[in-house]
Amino acid sequence: MTRRFFYLALPLLGALLFSIQPAIAQASSRARDGAGSKKTFTPPKTPWGDPDLQGLWPASSQIPMQRPQTLAAQTQLSDQELAEKKAQFDKQEHADSEEFASSSGNVTINPPGYWIERARPTKQTSLVVDPPDGRIPPLTPEAQARIKALRGGLGPGSHFPDVVNSWEDFDIYSRCISRGMLNSMLPTLYNFGNQIVQGPGYVVIRSEMIHESRVIPLDRRPHVGKNLRTYLGDSRGHWEGNTLVVESTNFNGKIGIGGGAPTTDALKIVERFSRVAPDELSYDATISDPGTWTKPWSIHYPYKLDASYPIYEYACHEGNYMMLNALKGARELEKQGRDTAAHQFSPGNR
Amino acid sequence: MRRALFLCAAGAACWLAVRPLSAHHAFEAEYDNKKPIHLVGKVTEMEWINPHSWIHIDVTGPDGKVTNWMVECGSPNIMLRRGFTKRTLEAGTILDIRGYQAKSGENKANGSSVTFQDGHRLFVGGSNPDDQESKRTPPQ
Repeated sequence: MTRRFFYLALPLLGALLFSIQPAIAQASSRARDGAGSKKTFTPPKTPWGDPDLQGLWPASSQIPMQRPQTLAAQTQLSDQELAEKKAQFDKQEHADSEEFASSSGNVTINPPGYWIERARPTKQTSLVVDPPDGRIPPLTPEAQARIKALRGGLGPGSHFPDVVNSWEDFDIYSRCISRGMLNSMLPTLYNFGNQIVQGPGYVVIRSEMIHESRVIPLDRRPHVGKNLRTYLGDSRGHWEGNTLVVESTNFNGKIGIGGGAPTTDALKIVERFSRVAPDELSYDATISDPGTWTKPWSIHYPYKLDASYPIYEYACHEGNYMMLNALKGARELEKQGRDTAAHQFSPGNR
Repeated sequence: MRRALFLCAAGAACWLAVRPLSAHHAFEAEYDNKKPIHLVGKVTEMEWINPHSWIHIDVTGPDGKVTNWMVECGSPNIMLRRGFTKRTLEAGTILDIRGYQAKSGENKANGSSVTFQDGHRLFVGGSNPDDQESKRTPPQ
């Protein structure tokens, strides 16, 4: 059954590898915050009659997952607050792109700015739009117990722990396995490209970071068997008017969403993609996992079309010396008498 | 002559700016903030690999002994987006590199700044422009 699926997907994967430009090559507007008259926009159709969502949609808007509690019920920044954030962004961009040494040049152990792509500020104050306070609902008692049990009872490590003892101290992203859903759709520090490619009966969503693709059938077939479980889940799509609705199940219980909470294999994510303007894709996702959160929650993300942001290969395992270097560092610390199992914990699975 | 190659393992006091960081990397686990280094050497190889690229350089120490160092860079994708090409770091290019050595004691370093002989600098801007730490003078 999986082999049949693989063969069905092959032509589509081949096509997307050679796909360079989106079918609808709209000029990318850099206006990030204007609402415009999106409600009346009718997306173009593919030659076979589906709404056309194809294009390069990098996750280049800077929005925190949860709303800072100081903002309370404020869902949008004011014009002045946004202007301040943009001024800081421009300043940082300038610093990142300097080509000649300045007298204030320094060395830190942190990565230099040229490693990083910085998403642009927007008015939206949190990805979480439901609950209305912009905060992820509380974890269930069993989820809290799972967190404490991580790494043999040591608790959660940070995304990139300062001191490591084992490869297990790193999350799946650091180990080049996957960012997992829902993370693969959301911004990261660089390589945050996403591309949608369509064919008759299928939609493919490619994510640049960690080099992953979801091949989503649209023919209402059932999900794969319950024993088949993956980091990205098993996605099934259908159209509701001009909106693509994708339901994903069959997760493997090894991914964290929203700050480190390890989900269960009952996780279900329902996504809604709507092209609300020639260059804007409205993305909504509802996340439910009764074993992890006390109630379902939803996020909203506004993707902007950007044909200048092609997806490059990111074969992360190709030369990942990080794990080797970090574990060698740990062994060296042990020679010096340090206890590498004595970590400082902070949730951070992305 | 500027071409004189040298290795200087600076024993300067650590003025590390400790702040949270997230890239595809665990700097604190790999590199030693008590081992700031200053390398001047000739590129022998450039590995354009994911998740991070590596520059290999030959460095001649004060005793004339040549050692090969590996210096870590960003991902090929982000470097490409920032204008780097596969010809940017040809073998033979002389670079002045500052960074921190691996905790393991191997000849590996994270390259925080890499400067060509003409002063052109590849890797700058790593600091927050409002961060007072970034305005300090680097160890010499």
